[in-house]
Amino acid sequence: MLAALAMPAQAHDLTWSGFGTVGFAQSDQAYKYQRFIDDQGTFKRDSVIGAQVDLKFNQQWGAAVQAKLAPSDHSDSQWQGFLSWAFVSWRPNDDWLIRAGKIRLPMMLNTENSDVGATYDFARLPLEVYSIAPTTDVIGVSISKTWLGESFDWIAEAYTGEASTYWRYYGRDRTIDRNSPGSWFLPIDMKSSGLVLTARGFENTFRIGYHEGEASRPGTKTGAGFEKIPCGPSECYMLSAGGVDKLRVPIVTLGASVLLPGDFRLTGEYAKAKVESASRGLSRWGGYVALMKRMGAWTPYVSYAKTKSTDDALGVYQQINGNANTVPPPLRSGQTAMADITTPYDQSTLALGTSFWVTSKSVIKAELSRVRTGIASSFVDAPAGSDSGNRHINVFSLSYSFSF
Amino acid sequence: MKLRCLLFLLLSQIGQAGAAGDELVVIGHSGLPKTDKLTLQRLYTGRIVSIGTQAVVPVNLPAGVAVRDDFLQMIMEQNEEQYTGYWLVRRYVGKGSPPKELGSVDEVVKHVTTTPGAVGYVPLSKVPPGTNVIFKR
Repeated sequence: MLAALAMPAQAHDLTWSGFGTVGFAQSDQAYKYQRFIDDQGTFKRDSVIGAQVDLKFNQQWGAAVQAKLAPSDHSDSQWQGFLSWAFVSWRPNDDWLIRAGKIRLPMMLNTENSDVGATYDFARLPLEVYSIAPTTDVIGVSISKTWLGESFDWIAEAYTGEASTYWRYYGRDRTIDRNSPGSWFLPIDMKSSGLVLTARGFENTFRIGYHEGEASRPGTKTGAGFEKIPCGPSECYMLSAGGVDKLRVPIVTLGASVLLPGDFRLTGEYAKAKVESASRGLSRWGGYVALMKRMGAWTPYVSYAKTKSTDDALGVYQQINGNANTVPPPLRSGQTAMADITTPYDQSTLALGTSFWVTSKSVIKAELSRVRTGIASSFVDAPAGSDSGNRHINVFSLSYSFSF
Repeated sequence: MKLRCLLFLLLSQIGQAGAAGDELVVIGHSGLPKTDKLTLQRLYTGRIVSIGTQAVVPVNLPAGVAVRDDFLQMIMEQNEEQYTGYWLVRRYVGKGSPPKELGSVDEVVKHVTTTPGAVGYVPLSKVPPGTNVIFKR
């Protein structure tokens, strides 16, 4: 690697490109959905700008760096610069590709290119599925082997790496340390390894993956559950002491995108994660199916997405949330905070949208979606004194994505 | 009638000669083996980086040049939009960048003949004598 980096400058082939999305989204509700969307409208949910530099040292060695500016992953009010990728690649022959550095993981079909709106037709990738992995970027190594076939290229990719990330929580009545509603971000160290098999043809793609994560909190234990303790005339749920140093987070991913007769494209993806912690609502599955049709520059689509935590997790949420109504009023916010920490998910989204390709590198997208929550949804920042269950949210999204 | 037939035949031959002169071929640096359409499709989509056992580096002409359009249509079986879109995704999934673009056919010829492992496409009429033609339809 050092030998490759030390090659004369004139032997390097450097290309750079930029990408971005200016996206506006507005709902018909006063409370926030997906951190930023409310009836005032926002550019923060979907807007991003970034640049990528690809460097070829020679026929085998290369490097890529991608940076972006987007809303912070540990603050709802700030923007942040991210180094999405920074890796060195070695391709000794046609079949093998080895990358080392900061890499984005091949979780769902569009995870790796999710920041580049000009690479897909959706106005917004279905969050029900694309949010399941605790992290999609790691510092580590990826090794892929390709078998070229007549109809499909088969690609097996194994990776391992680690990352520091944040899990966002929202307390509708109070946060963990403030007696007022708001979000807080828990720092998490993730180690992740996985194996992904992709069959990619010119028109069709299939992918299956198994990912094994390991989550820990810097300097403290995690994974503690809840315990009931007496509080006044009743009982309160509190985070129990103890916990473990590391939490196992296994994730299964499936995806397929198939071209049908008449230029229709059917895409479906599914993911399931298991997290044995107080935030047991993170143990959930998510899936979506989308049908789209390319008609010249237009690609209208309809999609349906759903995610749901395990029955056990939703049961714990309901128990604690219900308990909030039985405790004395001064203790209520503490109980709703405990309920919010369980991070429950039970929601579906029906979306109708279209993309309009201005050029092959720029696209305008519009989407109307209707979100329905069941027992609760942690994508919704519920109003104080209420909860996120049984809500309907209509969202209008309009964006322009480009690459150059 | 005979005169018309002769005239038609003569014009047909002239037409064929002209088409043959503009025929698209793929040239490679000396020593690169002959190849086929499927290999070229894989090479220009970054899915392979060699022909046989020899490492190769393809070069493109810029978008909008007629020779590139012919190459995409005849060899890649794609249009410009599809090819650009393919590389847009491939670049942003971290699997490499599209072949380097050179400004003209003359530059491609010069680059391929002087750069080990280089491969490019040019009209047959622009191929200098002695150049290694690795694919011809």
